[in-house]
Amino acid sequence: MNRDRLDFLLMQWSAGALTGEEAGEFQAMLRVEPEARRLFRRHANLDVALREWSDERTSATPWSAVQAPGAAERNARGVPWPRIAAIAAALLLAGSWIAHLLHERAGRALVMPPIAEERTAQGCAVLAQTLDAAFPADLPPRATGETLAPGRFKLDHGFAQIEFFSGATLLVEGAAELEIVSAWEARCLSGKVRVRVPPAARGFRLMAPGMKLVDLGTEFAVNVDAAGQSAAVRVFEGEVVAHPAGQPEISLRAGGGLRGGSPPAASAGLALLDPKVFLGTGQLQDLVSQRQEERFAQWQAWSARNARDARLIAYYPFKHDSRWERLVTDGAEPLDKTRNGGAVGVVWTKGRWPMKDALRFQRPGDRVRLSLAGDYRALTLSCWVKVDSLDHRYNSLLLTDGYDSGQPHWQIYEDGRLMFSLIYPDPADPSSRAKRRNQIYYSPPVFTAANRDRWHHLAVAYDNQTGEAVQYFDGELVSREVSPFHAPGRPILFGPCELGNWGLPTEGHKFPIRNLDGSMDEFAIYSARLTDQEIREQYENGKPF
Amino acid sequence: MSSHGTPPTDPDGQRYEAFVRQFVARESRLRAFLRALLPSWEDVDDALQETSIIAWRKFAQFEEGTNFLNWLFAIARFEALKQLRSRARSPLVFSDDVLDLLADEGAEETEQLEAERRALAFCLDQLPSAQRELLERSYQPGARLHEVAAQAGRTAAAFYKVIQRLRAALLDCAQRRLRAEGIS
Repeated sequence: MNRDRLDFLLMQWSAGALTGEEAGEFQAMLRVEPEARRLFRRHANLDVALREWSDERTSATPWSAVQAPGAAERNARGVPWPRIAAIAAALLLAGSWIAHLLHERAGRALVMPPIAEERTAQGCAVLAQTLDAAFPADLPPRATGETLAPGRFKLDHGFAQIEFFSGATLLVEGAAELEIVSAWEARCLSGKVRVRVPPAARGFRLMAPGMKLVDLGTEFAVNVDAAGQSAAVRVFEGEVVAHPAGQPEISLRAGGGLRGGSPPAASAGLALLDPKVFLGTGQLQDLVSQRQEERFAQWQAWSARNARDARLIAYYPFKHDSRWERLVTDGAEPLDKTRNGGAVGVVWTKGRWPMKDALRFQRPGDRVRLSLAGDYRALTLSCWVKVDSLDHRYNSLLLTDGYDSGQPHWQIYEDGRLMFSLIYPDPADPSSRAKRRNQIYYSPPVFTAANRDRWHHLAVAYDNQTGEAVQYFDGELVSREVSPFHAPGRPILFGPCELGNWGLPTEGHKFPIRNLDGSMDEFAIYSARLTDQEIREQYENGKPF
Repeated sequence: MSSHGTPPTDPDGQRYEAFVRQFVARESRLRAFLRALLPSWEDVDDALQETSIIAWRKFAQFEEGTNFLNWLFAIARFEALKQLRSRARSPLVFSDDVLDLLADEGAEETEQLEAERRALAFCLDQLPSAQRELLERSYQPGARLHEVAAQAGRTAAAFYKVIQRLRAALLDCAQRRLRAEGIS
């Protein structure tokens, strides 16, 4: 019996945090180990003792906010730190078991830092697209796809496209500063902004120095000078109602404009409002497609180099061959037709760039069948995926048929964690299927509601000597771990396996439906553990923007 | 603090009172028995409530002189099973064979476990106030550990480690105390 593992599982059980696989493992231990059951009952009993004890104390001591040590040196009940230290010292002398705890710094670790202020602010827009965008270095970096909450939005240079939840789209050219007020309102403090308001977002307001603009379903642009003193607006389509400060409202129609400021200068000087000085939406589109061409070309060059990597077991760049609709070609050189994949159910779709193909997995039957012979000492799996939802408990990236000794499973857990696992027999009882050791490696959650529906690079690298599994998300290392069940030198095998599904679920498994809901546009399988740097390069050479 | 159900009003007030008194005296043991069978506190509370209702309905069938606690355990076990059947899709649900093992052995150990709970209560009161507050927060009815962790600004994993260490220390303390009392 692995006592550490059991202690971990007991804790997860008590927290109600056991995953499906852990629960299975836990139950298997309880079934065969009387000692595990005895310990489990004591833990359940402890749960009850704790519950009844805190229930009695329900006079509910308020959750006192505590400054982090170092800020103001006080603990939860306002007792100064030196006093806690004195108590600790006394306990140490007393030699009680608590002293042992305190000795291990648990005493300090336990005092709660201040409660994070609850986030009341909801996001109201998404940073949909950027091009050569630079954000102020003193502010947290912004990422494409990021949800924007009300507040300042500053762009040093480049372009940013912001999509408000109301449906209004703002194209911003730096240097610019905006204040996002709500899904229905923004304030342009400086810079150039072009606003497109679909019918659903009619009534979207843009505030500029000296004026308020209410859009009635149109497209218009605003320029505000760097000092934030004066604004000029031009309507390209539809109608905008302008409310200059201290003046009656003015209706502006396509081609019309207004120069504002303090005080606003009515529509005087309209001649100065050359449409060309305003930001055009076409501009961004052109730049974006140019950028896409560049990125695609860069990836193609990398992909051609990668295909010659001798460490490849198979490499699927996902290029649609219209003559062979169901063929998923292995591009690793020298070409080996036995490693071509067969698409079942999946449909071809657009990948990271409009000119790149991808496969869309959606229904429970969708899959790409592979057969990869051989046994290996290390592996790296890497792919580009766009996840639409994580509706299943387990969402497959690559799963071997069944789950036999030495076979890897790579999937996304429902809570957004990456999950890599390998299974081997129990050395003490190699013939028992029930006692097999499942080496599971989780990353922290990497998929969130905010970053789904976008292309991400995923990778895991493992070798059977160190037993270390290293996981990556968008080129960054997110976890590095050795399983307690690791024993060096055991072979890794694939055999018949599938991308995006589980071909042959183990009998009686509670979660046999594991198809990916999303798209995949590249998948590489190596017989070696790639370095952090190599994973980083894969990401840099393949990232969509 | 009792959370058992309210049985229907009995015309015979004395019989009802006798039941409540006997039931309440064993509520804690029932709770401990159920906690080892069910995945969550909600399930335990539900099963306990159902057990109290069924036990009251069947109270007339209880034979004086036999073991009331074992009679309650039998009902509770059945309620736990019902509960689990209704949520068989949950991964945390024990299969029947494991449930049987746990229930049989749990019923046998009930006295020892009760003694340990008393020892644990003593140990809890010995804890420094920061730890006490932390545990109180974490185990209050309705509390969820991962939420408490979030409030405290910790990751769930880091927070569980702290709790796990405290739990081990508490069990250790209770063992020593029981040994000192000559119970274990």
